[in-house]
Amino acid sequence: MPIFKTAYNGYGVKFSPFLETRLAVATSQNFGIIGNGRQYVLELTPQGIQELISFDTRDGLYDCTWSEENENILVSASGDGSVKVWDLAAPPHQNPLKSFEEHSHEVYSLDWNTVRRDVFLSGSWDDSIKLWSLGAPGSLRTFAEHKYCVYTVAWNPAHADIFASASGDCTLRIWDVRQPHSTLAIPAHEFEILACDWNKYNDCVLVSGSVDKTIKLWDVRSPREPMTVLQGHTYAVRRVKFSPHHANLIASCSYDMSLCLWDYQAPEDALLMRYDHHTEFAVGLDLSTLVDGLMASTAWDETVYVWQQGQDPRL
Amino acid sequence: MDRALLRQKVLLDHLRPAAGQGTSITGEACATRAGDSGDDVVVVAAYRTPMCKAKRGGLKDTLPDDILAPVLKAVVERTGVNPKDIGDIVVGSVLAPGAQRANECRMAAFFAGFPETVPVRTVNRQCSSGLQAVADVAAAIKAGFYDIGIGAGIEAMSVNPMAWEGSVNPQVEQNLKARDCLLPMGVTSENVAERYGITRADQDQMAARSHARAVAAWKSGRFVDEVIPVATKIVDPKTGDEKPVTISRDDGMREGVTPASLAKLKAVFKKDGSTTAGNSSQITDGAAAVLLMKRSEAHRRGLPILGTFRTFAAVGVDPAVMGVGPAVAIPAAVEAAGLEIRDIDLFELNEAFASQATYCCRKLHLDEEKVNVNGGAIALGHPLGCTGARCVATLLHEMKKRGKGCRYGVVSMCIGSGMGAAAVFEQSD
Repeated sequence: MPIFKTAYNGYGVKFSPFLETRLAVATSQNFGIIGNGRQYVLELTPQGIQELISFDTRDGLYDCTWSEENENILVSASGDGSVKVWDLAAPPHQNPLKSFEEHSHEVYSLDWNTVRRDVFLSGSWDDSIKLWSLGAPGSLRTFAEHKYCVYTVAWNPAHADIFASASGDCTLRIWDVRQPHSTLAIPAHEFEILACDWNKYNDCVLVSGSVDKTIKLWDVRSPREPMTVLQGHTYAVRRVKFSPHHANLIASCSYDMSLCLWDYQAPEDALLMRYDHHTEFAVGLDLSTLVDGLMASTAWDETVYVWQQGQDPRL
Repeated sequence: MDRALLRQKVLLDHLRPAAGQGTSITGEACATRAGDSGDDVVVVAAYRTPMCKAKRGGLKDTLPDDILAPVLKAVVERTGVNPKDIGDIVVGSVLAPGAQRANECRMAAFFAGFPETVPVRTVNRQCSSGLQAVADVAAAIKAGFYDIGIGAGIEAMSVNPMAWEGSVNPQVEQNLKARDCLLPMGVTSENVAERYGITRADQDQMAARSHARAVAAWKSGRFVDEVIPVATKIVDPKTGDEKPVTISRDDGMREGVTPASLAKLKAVFKKDGSTTAGNSSQITDGAAAVLLMKRSEAHRRGLPILGTFRTFAAVGVDPAVMGVGPAVAIPAAVEAAGLEIRDIDLFELNEAFASQATYCCRKLHLDEEKVNVNGGAIALGHPLGCTGARCVATLLHEMKKRGKGCRYGVVSMCIGSGMGAAAVFEQSD
């Protein structure tokens, strides 16, 4: 599978839930420290990965997610605290369609609800999480219990009202939007937690990735101890994702520049595969929901790779 | 903090991690993501003697080494640390002749039960000596010279008056800054009041509040955890009779002091001035000691931690207005800790004079409900070399009582000849 070269440093990648050949990539100039951002929409073609469209922003973009109800709608998380909404079908001058400007610091994570398809979440370095609907003028709700940057937010795939958040305050929190406060706080790691995701086949199982280099599996019914600890990354784990197709399969990417595939229930060696095609921090990762085994990654080395699980991304 | 710097810091922290949760970066502040490291220097014990009026108070007939020994003993006895494990004892002391005081401190260590193998030295940075001693020990532990040390302070103002010996260098006529080092402290207080518009009423109000808070603190038992009673003697000035006593309370604060009652006092240092005996710090005898070690050492010994020593800064200011020192030193120490002033939950800001303390609070926009909450040197007294260590004890015990929400505390003071010092402490396990 071919490579796509981005102009800026890659931060986030997301497959379209509607079109198996389409993906979005959030990028930032100068490693996201200072400068502009660019939201790419890429298309997998027989001739390689091609740019369908791109949108430029004044500040870096750290994450993106697709609407689950409209195949042309995409949102980006911006360093200036805004959430930009793009419409691929609209003429260029109408984009961004909207810019939600409520967070006071960098927005670092976005996740669209796959059950109730009109709402999405944003997690920010202002320590808060906000719930949005494109139809509403402002955020529907703010969740402010974390004490440091929120790095990842993730909806539960089975329950429309439940989501998890990972924070630099070293806790994972579980939220039910019908409740006034978070319903569970797990002091999951001794160090900052950068990522979390829900198992797609067991709505009680959660995975977290931390600066402590480990990945931990949690069952929300017995949150005192992790079910499993996966060790193998040599620097902070930036993202973790459960496979949409295999209950035990987890993909992770890290500041150690590698991506790993894990079978968390394997009796012996849980690490199935390590990919080292990136040459800088590997910070963006996604698994296609439409094509079993199709993966995408992006990194600070200004590349986007899309490949089939069993193959070498560079071939 | 600059947005780019902040981003760099957040990302860098992902690469060189420190355990423990970060502090919010909301607003412009980017609080240090210090986290708790085993290499941190922490305070595991901090005690002081009662603060007693010089020449009239409870310690007037107690020798300096007998004032110091009880607190040196307390920090090891109450933590169960074997005295032989102490790497150094550093004692702040100002007025006494250097060599004699160094000797007295060495003797005090013996009186306190330390073996001959434990070294002792003194340090003199005027009014910040006690804090400097704590900072020196923290620095030595960080440098790896030893793992456990005591930073202490002593001043026996009953026996060691503030005085100048010998002649003054005539060159001072050509060097105004040097000449201003000779100004009596009270005159520098008048200079601060005049230069920065601190009124007599402002000063008397702070003084009355200091007394009221110290009285309330004793009434509510706020000081009980930090004060070590001193068994000594007291001599009746008329009959010369000695009688054994145990001094367990400060004796400088007075109940019922009001701004109105203080307003009746005469200015001491300047005609029509505003600095009076009532709104200046008291002349006092006292000692304090602080036991410091690496966090890993404290954990190994199973000792509870009072607070983490984060940063220290000493700065120079104009000697003619030496009282402004904290207004420069506090921002320096707080910034070094990666914090902002508003992140600080509690201050022990030495009340050398109400004039300068008021000025510093205003200049830094400090909330008076966070400053000297149990009274300051106007009520309790200012035994020069002891004060810094005394403030560390008072600050950390109060932070503990206030609970986890009281995370960062600052000790600061102005320093004669134009300096300021400040240190930042964090409450952590």
